[in-house]
Amino acid sequence: MIRQTLEADSAGSPSHPSPALLELQGIDLAGKGQRRLEAIKLNIQPGERVALIGASGAGKSSLLAVANGLIKPNAGTVLWQGSPPAKSRRQRRRQQARIGTLWQDLRLIEELTVQQNLNGARLAQWGWPKALLNLLLPLETGPCAAALERLDLDQALLDRPVGSLSGGQRQRVAIARLLRQEPLLVLADEPLASLDPRLAEELLALLLDYTRAPRALVMSLHRPDLLGGFDRVVGLRAGRVLFDQPVDQLGQDQLTALYASSL
Amino acid sequence: MPALVLIPVLLGLPQLVHGGGWELIGQFALAAAQPSLDPAVIQSVISGLGTTTSMALLGWAGSMVLGVGLGVASSRTVWRTVLGHGAPADLIRKLLAIPRSIHELLWGLLLLQLVGLEPVVAVVAIAIPFGALVARVVSDLIDALPTGNLNALRAAGAPGGPALVTALGPPLLPHLLSYSSYRLECALRSATLLGVFGLGGLGTELRLTLQSLNFKELWSGLWVLLAAMVLLETLLGWLRHRWSMPNRFTKKVMASGRQGQELVALGVALIPLLVWVAQSQQIDPGALLQWQALPPMGPPHWAELAGLNWPSLVGNTIVLTGLAAALAVGGAPLLLLLVAAWPLGKLVVRGIWLLARLWPPPLTALLLLFVLKPGVPTAALALGFHNLGILGRLLLECAETADRAPEQALISGGTGPRMALLYGRFSALARPYLAYGAYRADVILRESVVVGLVGATGLGSQLLEALSSFAWDQLLALVAVYAALTLLGEDLSDRARHQLLETAHGDDQSQEVGGAWR
Repeated sequence: MIRQTLEADSAGSPSHPSPALLELQGIDLAGKGQRRLEAIKLNIQPGERVALIGASGAGKSSLLAVANGLIKPNAGTVLWQGSPPAKSRRQRRRQQARIGTLWQDLRLIEELTVQQNLNGARLAQWGWPKALLNLLLPLETGPCAAALERLDLDQALLDRPVGSLSGGQRQRVAIARLLRQEPLLVLADEPLASLDPRLAEELLALLLDYTRAPRALVMSLHRPDLLGGFDRVVGLRAGRVLFDQPVDQLGQDQLTALYASSL
Repeated sequence: MPALVLIPVLLGLPQLVHGGGWELIGQFALAAAQPSLDPAVIQSVISGLGTTTSMALLGWAGSMVLGVGLGVASSRTVWRTVLGHGAPADLIRKLLAIPRSIHELLWGLLLLQLVGLEPVVAVVAIAIPFGALVARVVSDLIDALPTGNLNALRAAGAPGGPALVTALGPPLLPHLLSYSSYRLECALRSATLLGVFGLGGLGTELRLTLQSLNFKELWSGLWVLLAAMVLLETLLGWLRHRWSMPNRFTKKVMASGRQGQELVALGVALIPLLVWVAQSQQIDPGALLQWQALPPMGPPHWAELAGLNWPSLVGNTIVLTGLAAALAVGGAPLLLLLVAAWPLGKLVVRGIWLLARLWPPPLTALLLLFVLKPGVPTAALALGFHNLGILGRLLLECAETADRAPEQALISGGTGPRMALLYGRFSALARPYLAYGAYRADVILRESVVVGLVGATGLGSQLLEALSSFAWDQLLALVAVYAALTLLGEDLSDRARHQLLETAHGDDQSQEVGGAWR
């Protein structure tokens, strides 16, 4: 039942007008001493791929954590597809299942195999029996292998514990898990930071391709040279949005102001 | 440093010795080499061992089921995930402190009064306090796990329960397995101990043969117990090694969930085994419901209760705990240092420790009574000796896995082997070891009741006396004071441990020592 709704959503059926996948209004988030986020306003439409840039500590990770519902802001509203976070647990889970997060620290379960980790993304749809079986048996090998193949990973990795993989492999497994989740909104926290340039470009291209309409992407990143494929760029500085504009209008002076050291 | 306590104890010993029994001690030692091989004796020893291991196994299984269930129920992480709030966990935790603070022997004796001599008594007596202890360790382990993975699964819409099992289950499992195998060893020791107090099995045989001075038969029982203990420790060590070894160290590829399958298979295989054991020992849980007619309970004698010398009772208990703990904590490294130069000596020390571990402290105490006067120091010696075996083994295990580089540097610089061991290896282990010692002291406090039978040892002996005369008013008051004292001790030892571990740099290892090896 849940699954059907999801698929209908992800197909982006034209019968109803699609609201913004993510809408943040007047978000404030308190931190130690100063505020981590202040009066954030952001609107992500289906098909938009948005880069989030800013110096370390500018609030990029906090913003993403608010956007995926992990942190509740002190003020302001978060809307997913036009609705606030649901009160009902079932509804809320359904909302969460449409948001895929690529975590900076990956958050793969080291002790489990690649396949079990990939299946972890399906827990929203699975009940208890299947969740337990996943710990005992290789489930849904076909879709898992397909996800690996999209990332140029060998199928033989399915049986390997994540703890035994190399850094680049782990990064790609994390993305494969994201693909298994089939989210509408993808939030990625510096997924390219620790990769070699060629791999970084490949994975970026894959993510940009995957998040065409009806999906959307918000990715924080450190390297302004990789902005090419994005539609929009949001500059964050000391918890505030400094600019929010199409990528091709971004000027060098804006970048300088964004990374300038004085506060 | 704690070894300094040896000085006053050694100085005090001559006053305690009463002479009479040296001949008996000699006979006892000689009998070790010539245990009785009489088939009747062997048969009764084997059947006694069967009873004891059955009680241990069933009690352990019960405690694990109870402990894991209650441990999950008293984990803050679990409640926060399922309910959004961690408060119920704290409440359950506090409630569990009560069954935990009462030693399995007291549970055994209390239940014995209530339902009579039934095989099920020992099983339940082990399962209750062990279960509460396992619950605490399990909840501590769960709450110490990083929650990143859990949050990640939750953010992807996974429901609470499956997310918890998937994210926290796998990292928890090796700790849980290692700890549960250690608990099984403890259960065997406890089952023997309960036997010494008349709950059946090998322990009962040991005590009867000792009291009738039938040392040859005593040693038949001891050797069999030793063999069983070595077998169990080896088997569990092998299993621990197999399961706690994360796959990343082995290049061998195991199919998804293979480890889980093996575990489930083992768990399923355990059930018929447990049922068979329970039937063969005629263990009937129904017996728990059929209470004996209790001796008539008169109104409480407040005056008599107040007349007990409480400060001295509590004081003696604390002195006993302190002495025994210092003996055990200080003795282990001292012995290792003494024999550092001779490989053979190490083997001997290992042997002594093994004996100390399996030898129930009340039996040591009875043996010591041949030559020593009853009192706190005698009880402390018996209790200290037992815990020395447990601490020593841990120290040795840690010392063997510790980094040898500094020691080798010292030796190649011309330092003697003892000095090199002290400076090179022990200095790095000192904090985690002392932290574990602090925990052990708390265990010793709880255990001090088991040497109560040598008399004048504080709350322990008073408790046993109250039990045998069934002075229920005294009994309740004593148990309450004892439990309060244990909880206080637990809190103190927790604090000491945290302080020791906070300043230690090797957090992982110290956690291992302090956390997983309770």
